Amino acid sequence: MRDACCGFGGLALASLLQEEAARAGTATPLSSKPAHFQPKAKSVIFLFMAGGPSHLETYDPKPLLNKLHGQKRPNEFGEAKYQFVQRDAKLLGTKRTFKKYGQSGIEVSDLFPHTAECVDDMAILRSCHGDMVVHSAAQYELFTGRVTPGFPSVGSWVIYGLGSESQSLPAYVVMPDPKGALEAGQPMYTNGFLPAIYQPTMFRPGSRPVLNLERTAGVSDADRRKTLDLIRNLNRATLDPGDQEFSARINAYDLAFKMQSEAPDVLDISHEPRETLELYGVGDAVTNDYARRCLLARKLVEKGVRFVCVVSGGGTGNQQWDAHSDIEENHLRKAAETDKPVAGLLKDLKRRGLLDSTLVVWGGEFGRSPEAESGRGRDHHNLGFTMWMAGGGIKGGKVVGATDAIGLRAIESPYHLRDVHTTILNQLGLDQHKLTYPHLGRNERLTFVEGKVIREIV
Amino acid sequence: MNRPATRLVPLIITLASFAHADEARDATFYNARIQPVLARECYSCHSPDAAKLKGGLRLDSREAMLQGGDAGPAIVAGKPAESLLIQALRHEGDLAMPPKKPKLAANIIADFERWITDGAPGPTASANTAEKKGDPRQHWAFQPVKRPAIPAVRNAKQPANAIDAFIFAKLEERGWTIAPPATRAEWIRRVTFDLTGLPPTPDEVDHYLADHDANADERVVDRLLASPAYGERWGQHWLDVVRFAETEGYEYDREIPDAWRYRDYVIDSFNRDKPFDRFLTEQIAGDEISPADQECMIATTFHRLGPVRRNAGNPEIALSRNEVLTERTDIIGTAFLGLTIGCARCHNHKLEPISQKDYYRLQAYLAATDEHNIVLASEAERKTSEAESNRFKDEIAALKKRMKLTTGPERAKLETELESLEDKMPAPLATIPATWNDMSHRTEIHVLKRGVWENKGEPVGPRPLGVLIAESEPESPANLTNPRTQLAKWITSPSHPLTARVMVNRVWLHHFGAGLVKTVNDFGTKGDAPSHRELLDWLASTFVENGWQLKPLHKMMVLSQTYRQSVHSPIAARAEVADPENRLLWRFNRRRLSAEEIRDGMLMVSGRLNPKRSGPSVMIPVDAEMVALLYKPSQWKPARDVNEYDRRSIYLFAKRNLRLPFLETFDAPPLLTSCARRETSTHAPQALELLNGKLANDLADAFAKRLEHEVGDQKDKIVERAFQLAHGRSATAEERRLSLEFLRDQSLKEFALAVLNTNGFLYVN
Repeated sequence: MRDACCGFGGLALASLLQEEAARAGTATPLSSKPAHFQPKAKSVIFLFMAGGPSHLETYDPKPLLNKLHGQKRPNEFGEAKYQFVQRDAKLLGTKRTFKKYGQSGIEVSDLFPHTAECVDDMAILRSCHGDMVVHSAAQYELFTGRVTPGFPSVGSWVIYGLGSESQSLPAYVVMPDPKGALEAGQPMYTNGFLPAIYQPTMFRPGSRPVLNLERTAGVSDADRRKTLDLIRNLNRATLDPGDQEFSARINAYDLAFKMQSEAPDVLDISHEPRETLELYGVGDAVTNDYARRCLLARKLVEKGVRFVCVVSGGGTGNQQWDAHSDIEENHLRKAAETDKPVAGLLKDLKRRGLLDSTLVVWGGEFGRSPEAESGRGRDHHNLGFTMWMAGGGIKGGKVVGATDAIGLRAIESPYHLRDVHTTILNQLGLDQHKLTYPHLGRNERLTFVEGKVIREIV
Repeated sequence: MNRPATRLVPLIITLASFAHADEARDATFYNARIQPVLARECYSCHSPDAAKLKGGLRLDSREAMLQGGDAGPAIVAGKPAESLLIQALRHEGDLAMPPKKPKLAANIIADFERWITDGAPGPTASANTAEKKGDPRQHWAFQPVKRPAIPAVRNAKQPANAIDAFIFAKLEERGWTIAPPATRAEWIRRVTFDLTGLPPTPDEVDHYLADHDANADERVVDRLLASPAYGERWGQHWLDVVRFAETEGYEYDREIPDAWRYRDYVIDSFNRDKPFDRFLTEQIAGDEISPADQECMIATTFHRLGPVRRNAGNPEIALSRNEVLTERTDIIGTAFLGLTIGCARCHNHKLEPISQKDYYRLQAYLAATDEHNIVLASEAERKTSEAESNRFKDEIAALKKRMKLTTGPERAKLETELESLEDKMPAPLATIPATWNDMSHRTEIHVLKRGVWENKGEPVGPRPLGVLIAESEPESPANLTNPRTQLAKWITSPSHPLTARVMVNRVWLHHFGAGLVKTVNDFGTKGDAPSHRELLDWLASTFVENGWQLKPLHKMMVLSQTYRQSVHSPIAARAEVADPENRLLWRFNRRRLSAEEIRDGMLMVSGRLNPKRSGPSVMIPVDAEMVALLYKPSQWKPARDVNEYDRRSIYLFAKRNLRLPFLETFDAPPLLTSCARRETSTHAPQALELLNGKLANDLADAFAKRLEHEVGDQKDKIVERAFQLAHGRSATAEERRLSLEFLRDQSLKEFALAVLNTNGFLYVN
C-alpha cells in the first residue's frame, strides 16, 4: 500500500483533487493553465544576487577604467546620480582579470571560473538599466516592475498566469539567504493585489526547509485525513462565497497535505549521488549553503515547480553584494560562495535535459558605480549593469548590448528591467498585455510601461 | 549667438504640443522642460539638497528664483535678458553656469528664455508639487493639530459618538452607510481579542449575552481595560514599534542583561494608563528626570534596544559609537515622530524636508548617552558571584592553555568540557540595562559628509527638526545639561504636530485594521494622506486634552457604531469597486489573529495557559538544527520548569538570531527594525504548523482532556463546549452535525485539533 508508507499520495491524492474540483465545479486556481502562445520554458529559476553585484568585476570588462583609475570621470561620459558617491569621486579600476571562455569567446572575470565554463549557454545582457538607485525601491522594481511596494512579484504573476504543474509542492518558492532579510523585505516577493493563493512559499535554511512535514506520531494517515476533511467542512460551513482570504486558507491546507506526502523526498538532497553534491559544492563550507539551495531548486523545477528564487545575500550590506567599502573583499567572498553552485546548477540542468525548459536568470537589483566609494568600494548604480539568462529557449553564447567605455551607462541596445520581465514572460508563453488583473479600476500588468522582448536572444 | 536659438523655440514647442501658449501658462512647460534641467544641473548647489548652498541661491521654486541669492534675483519674469540665470547659462556676465562645464545646449537655454518670457510660470502654491518642492512646512502633518467641529450627520441613524459622526459624514458623501451591527457574540469576541489578545471565556460571553442593560457594552470594555491582559496585548504593540528584543543581533547576538525589565515596564505602563507623554519622557530621559527611580531607569533601556555590532580584534571605537548613535536617533524619528529620518544621515533627505544638519542636531541630544548597567544585587551577593565566576574563569583559563597543546579528538573533548564549564558560570546578577549621560565621553556631533564618521563637517548642537520649529530658533550648546529632557519636552509638547497624531493612529490601526494614515510609521510628505484628517485631529486633540491617557481613547473607539458594525455589508458589491481597501469603513475589517494571539488563544482554550506575569523571559525548546545556527549555541537554554513554556508569548525570550518558528510562521516581526503593522499572510507552512506542529498537537491533546473533564462523554455537549471555548459562540446546526459525525469513530483529540484549525478560531469577525 502506497498510502501506508507515504501518506496522502497516489490514489488518495488524485481522488481528493477530483472531489475538490467536483465540489467547486471548477479547477483550483492553481491548476495548470494554457499559455497565451507556445512556450519555450516551463519554469524559471531566478538567482537573485541581492545588494547589486558589480558588472565591472564580473561580466563587463572595461580596460579604460583601469587606465583612468584615480581620475575624475571625463565629462564626455555624462552625469550619473548615485546614492552616496559625489560627483567629484574618482574612478576605480578593477583588480579582476578577464579571460575568454567557450566557443563564443565571451570574456568573464576570474571571479567566476566555474560559471564561465557554461558561457556558451548563457546570454550576457550587458546593457541592463533600471530607474532606482536605492535598494528597496530597486528591489521592488526588479521583482514587481514598480518602485513602490504592494504590487505582485513576477513569480506571483507567473503562477497566476500558468498555475502549477505540481500538486504536491508550492508553485512559487523563495529560498532566502539564511544570513538575513533584505531592504525591501518580504513584500518584494509577495502577491500584491493578486489573490492570496499566488503567494510565495518561503523556505527555511537547513535540511528541513519546510517545517512540520513529518506526520504526527500515533495518528494514522487515514485518521488524519478525516481530521482534514472535518477542518475543510467546518470552514466551508461558514464560508462566504467569494471570500478570497478564506479560500486561500482552505487551499493552504490542501497544499499542506499534498506537500506532506511528496515534498520530503524532493526536499531531501542527502540521497543525491556524491558526484552531484560535489558538482554543486555541497559539503564545502564556503559553497555549501548556496549549493544546497541551487540543488534544491533543480529538484523543485524537476517536479514542476513554476518559479524558484534563490537569494544570495541577506542581512547587513556586506553580507549582500552591496560592496560599499571594499569591492575586492566583498565580491571575492560572494563569488566564492555562489560560482560553483551556479555552474553546478546550469550543468546539472543541462545534462538532465531540463535546461531547455528551465529559464535561469542571474542578476541583482542594480550594478555598481565606476567611481570609488570610501576608497575601495563601489556605490549602487542603475544606469548600466549586467544580468544574464540561460536555458528556457534563450540563445547562449551571446552578448547583448554594451555600456560605455567605463561601464557607466548602457549605450548600445539598452534593456530596461521591464524588458527582462517581458522576456521572462515571453519564454513562458505569456503576453504582457494579456496577463492582467483588475485593480482600482485599471487592468494592471507586470510591466508598468510596455516592455520589449530581447529579440537577440530568443 | 542667441538669435537663431530663440527663433527655433516656437518650432520646438509646437512640435512638442499644439497648444504651447496654454501649456506655458500652467506649470506643464516648467515641469517638462525647466525643472528636469534645474534638477540635473543646478540642484546639487542650489536647492535644499545641496551639501552647501552656493551663493545663497535656491533654484527649486519660482519664488526662490524671483527672490534670488547673494547676487540678486535669478529671474525677472517676462525679461529673459535681465535675468541673471539666463546670463549665467549663456556665459555672458560674471557667472558661467553650470560651473566648470561646457554651456548647456542652445535649445535648452532657449527653453529657459521662452519660459521667462512667458512670465516664468511655475507650479501654483496649492499644487501638490509645490507643497513638496516649495514649502514643505505646508505639509498637512506638520501643521498644528486643530480641533475640528464634529460634523453634522444627516443619516437618521444617530451616531453613537464623535468618531461615528466623522465616519458617517464621509460615507454620506457617497450615499453609503455603515454595515449593520455585528452580533453581540461577535462583538464581545472582537473587543476581547482587541483589548487583551485572548479569547473571551464562555462565562464572559454568557454573562454579556444575558446582560441587556444599556451599559452592558461599557461594562465589558471597562472590565477588559482593567484586566492585566490589556497591558500584555498593547505592550506587545509598543514592543513592535521600538523593535524590542533581548539580544543585540549581529553575529554575536549578546544578551542585553535583564531586558525583560523593560518589557514589564511597558506592560505595567499600559495597565496603569500612564499618560503617554510621561511614558515617552521616561523612555527618552528617565535617567535625567529621576535617576533614583528604578522605573525611570528601566524605561531608558529604550535607548539600548537597537541592534549593536560588537567587534572582535581592534574595534573602531568612533565607528561603533557612530552606529549606536545612528540606531538611537533613527528610532526616535520612527517611534515618536512617525518620520523616516534615517535617510538624512548621509545626505539631505531626498524625499522629506529634513536636512542632514537637522539629523545631526537631533542626534546631538544623544551625544553623551551611554550604556549604564545598574547591578541590583547586594554587596554580599555581588561578592559571592564574583568569587564563583573567578573560580570558573581560572578553570577556563587553565583549560584553554591545555587546549593549545592538543589536537584531534583530545582537543574536541576539551572543547566540550570548556562549553560545559562556560555553562556553569554563575548567572549574571540582576541588572537594569539603563542609559545615562557620560559627559566626560560626550561625542562631538558633526554633520558627517555622506554619513561617513570620518568625514566630519561642521559641529552641531541639539535642535529639533527645522521644519517643525521657527526658523529663528537657535541651536542649543553642544554641552547642554540634561539634553534628552529637552528633547522629550519638545516631543511631548501638547502643540507638537506629530506625537499625538502618530499615537492615536497606532491605536486606530489596532482596532480597525488600518490606520487613518495607512503608513503608520511615516507621516512625512511621502507618507499616505489620512483618510479622515479631521477625525485624526479630533482624536489627537482629545487625547492630549484628556491628559494623554489611552484607556478613554480605546473606550471611545470600541464603543462606537463604526467599531460595532459587521464584516458583512449589504453595499459590498458597490463599495468594493469604489473603495476596495475599505478606507471609508463601510464594513468592519475582519482580521486573522496575530501570531501571539493564536498561540496564547490555543493555550487558553486548551486550559494550559500559565497566567504568570512578569519576570525573566522564557526560552522554550526549539529545533536543535536552529540552535546550531547560532554563533554560540550555548546561548539557547530552555527553561527547566516545563510549566514556563505555557506562558503568554510576550514572556518568551525574544532573540534576534533565533526567531521562534511558530510566531515567525504567523508573521511576527523580525525584531530588527520598527514594525508598525504586522503582515497577514496565508500559506501552507501555517497549515503544517497547526496540523503537524508539536505545539498544536500537544494543545489539542490538552483541549480534548479539558472537554472530557468539563462535560464528560456526552458528545453533543463536548461539541457545544468546544465551540464556545474556541469560537466564543454556540456551534451551528451544520457544525454540530459535522462534528458529531466525526466523533462517531474519530478521537476527541483529532476533533480538538480540527477546531483549533478552523477559521472560526483563527479569525476575528
